[in-house]
Amino acid sequence: MILKADNMIKSFGNKNVLKGVSFSMDEGTVNGIAGENGSGKSTLLKILVGLWKADRGNLQINGKIGYCPQDPLIFPQLTVDEHFRYFAAAYGLKKHDWQHQREFLLEHLNFGQSRKDKVEILSGGTHQKLNLSLSLLHEPDLLILDEPYNGFDWETYLRFWEITAQLKQQGCSILIVTHLLNDRDRFDNIHNLKNGILE
Amino acid sequence: MTPDRITTSLFMILRMLLRRRIVLILLAVIPVVFFSVVAFTTPDRKVPFRLSSLDGNIFIAASEKQIALVFFAVAVAGFLMSFLAMNLIQKNSKINRRLILCGYHPLELLLSNLLALTLIIVLISVYVGLITSAFFHVSHPGLMIFSLALTGFVYGGYGLVVGSLVEGELEAILLIVLLANIDAGWLQNPIFYAEAQNQVIIHWLPAYFPSQSAIFAAFTDYSILRASLASLLYGSGFLAFSMLIFYLKMRIRK
Repeated sequence: MILKADNMIKSFGNKNVLKGVSFSMDEGTVNGIAGENGSGKSTLLKILVGLWKADRGNLQINGKIGYCPQDPLIFPQLTVDEHFRYFAAAYGLKKHDWQHQREFLLEHLNFGQSRKDKVEILSGGTHQKLNLSLSLLHEPDLLILDEPYNGFDWETYLRFWEITAQLKQQGCSILIVTHLLNDRDRFDNIHNLKNGILE
Repeated sequence: MTPDRITTSLFMILRMLLRRRIVLILLAVIPVVFFSVVAFTTPDRKVPFRLSSLDGNIFIAASEKQIALVFFAVAVAGFLMSFLAMNLIQKNSKINRRLILCGYHPLELLLSNLLALTLIIVLISVYVGLITSAFFHVSHPGLMIFSLALTGFVYGGYGLVVGSLVEGELEAILLIVLLANIDAGWLQNPIFYAEAQNQVIIHWLPAYFPSQSAIFAAFTDYSILRASLASLLYGSGFLAFSMLIFYLKMRIRK
């Protein structure tokens, strides 16, 4: 089991946002958590990636996490290649380890032509590709994606699922948190989050 | 903490700063505009003034234009540094958190930001110091540059505090312009100061000690040691406070 969340509770003042969320994920599976705005998705996600701590409950993650935030958190003045270098340092990767993965991501997400360009001149779709690539650079065991398809064109969307299938084959587990789940047959498990309760 | 992570972050921060158009424009335009205004508008007549950090009634005589140049050099260094420091911390706050999630330690990012600021302080003080020296004979150019670096240190610390506490860019700029204008750009002018009704308030403002140090270095042979130590102490207070806020905001609650 790569992830096990047990009875997670989170409140802000009098508002109970998560009311005992429990779920688990196996290696090499694609999981979805869907929920409307205000259902507690963002809170759950922030707890899963380590930005916040639950008030109560247990969370167990066995392996490296890759986190792809909804809004691309990237530096406008740096180039695509510089981002890879910066994040490789963050992950503590050796040069020959991350360069191979960088080439793979640039090729498969089809933005190698922009590698020397500063992010500020690139399109929203390319921002999203870079955002996703940075979460995959260290070849995580668990990839957590927050509304990953925002800004993707159709071709990138298909390529995204190709990469997802490939990652799944390699044993990587994927968790997609979104307000709208399409292509339900691509998922192994789908949970609905409603008013802080996972159904 | 690894040196590789710190140096990678440092180079990225410097790249980002030097690629921001507004940074280059400010660096090029602000000193030129300030010094040109002084050069074209301030008279050359000699004015005797008393420095508050000197004991007794010791008067220094210097031309009004030269005094204004030194005083504006301090204001320029203070404004530029506080703006750049604020910009550096505030703009990257969310992305820095992502880097921390990916493995950076908050102290590694903090250290690289501080190293970047130190390099910029040196660059700005040398640049503004050389421009000042081009206008008139500064008694001790090296100490003058050092005094401007002290200004950069104190006001850079203030910029870090503002950047860590205030989320809106406009509000942060307002806070910086307000203090830099009132303090470094007005109250620390020795000619104004001599006639000020409440000099105690002026003593407690951030540009007080660096201004005293700069004026000593520009016009006298008096030691700048006391003013320098006080500036370092003042700047360290800002720095410690901003580091604490940065650390609290960046830590991950695992």
